[in-house]
Amino acid sequence: MESTEKRDPVHGAPPDEGDLVTTTAEGAEGPISLEALMAGDEKAFEQLVMQESARLFRVIVRIIGDDDEAQSILQETFLQAYQRMSTFRRESKLTTWLYAIGINLARASLRKSRRISSLEDQEVERMQPEFNRGMFVDTPAVWDPARVTELSDRQQLVRKGIDQLPEDYNSVIILRDIEEYSTEEVARMLDISPGAVRVRLHRARGALRKLLDPHMRRMPRN
Amino acid sequence: MKFLTALKTALGLAPGCEKVNEFLAEYVEGALDETTRAHFEAHMNMCKCCDHYLDQYRQTIEMTRQVEEIPVPAELAEHTLAFLRKNANFPSSPQG
Repeated sequence: MESTEKRDPVHGAPPDEGDLVTTTAEGAEGPISLEALMAGDEKAFEQLVMQESARLFRVIVRIIGDDDEAQSILQETFLQAYQRMSTFRRESKLTTWLYAIGINLARASLRKSRRISSLEDQEVERMQPEFNRGMFVDTPAVWDPARVTELSDRQQLVRKGIDQLPEDYNSVIILRDIEEYSTEEVARMLDISPGAVRVRLHRARGALRKLLDPHMRRMPRN
Repeated sequence: MKFLTALKTALGLAPGCEKVNEFLAEYVEGALDETTRAHFEAHMNMCKCCDHYLDQYRQTIEMTRQVEEIPVPAELAEHTLAFLRKNANFPSSPQG
């Protein structure tokens, strides 16, 4: 069994450094001064736009699934951030605050367009493993390593599975497992507790596992 | 072995599969305290069901991490800056 001596063996993501990084935001051309940003310095804000646009765009696209709309939301995110910079209270990284604005806008757009996921919360619950008197009811199958690594449409299957998840589950899996933000950062972005992030993440992974299971089993020999 | 695990669980000597399952996210993140992790791993070593499930759980995370990249449009940041110049009284030159 793999040891958990190393911190975060799955993600290798650093912990949220909180206050240590609220004074600057590291950019391609060097650190961006938070003081300059807070003072409304356009040059510093421009650097922030150059630094964060691509990653934030990817997060928004993954949430709403539409490139053109994601570009509009990205622009609106930076506009709101610029106009509301004075409300940033330095309780998190500036980028966490920025991403929270973008994610909120993306989720609002998703609800407005009524592009809803195909799974309901209750279905996610039903997709979790079954227990009887605290023990597994059925032994989970061993997945075929060849299918796990070589299945040609694997990425598409995973993508489709993530898209089917309800919004609350979809967001945590995008931020934690794909973008590899720390649990604490995801909690701040979604304005929920780290414990709630782990609960949602666990259920989202459980549901995704269930969706992938039939595709990953060893094919019976004829 | 499943019987032994069930017996220990029934006697309250070890956590059952359901309890262990609740801790999976913390476990893979390395967020369990030493005592809980030791109980967790003792159960895993005895329970084929949980061991298989943990394998699937880890593979699900790995496959999720390897989901396809989202292509980023050329001049994405420049278009955003142009939008800000129009709507937020940004300087007219991108170089300031």
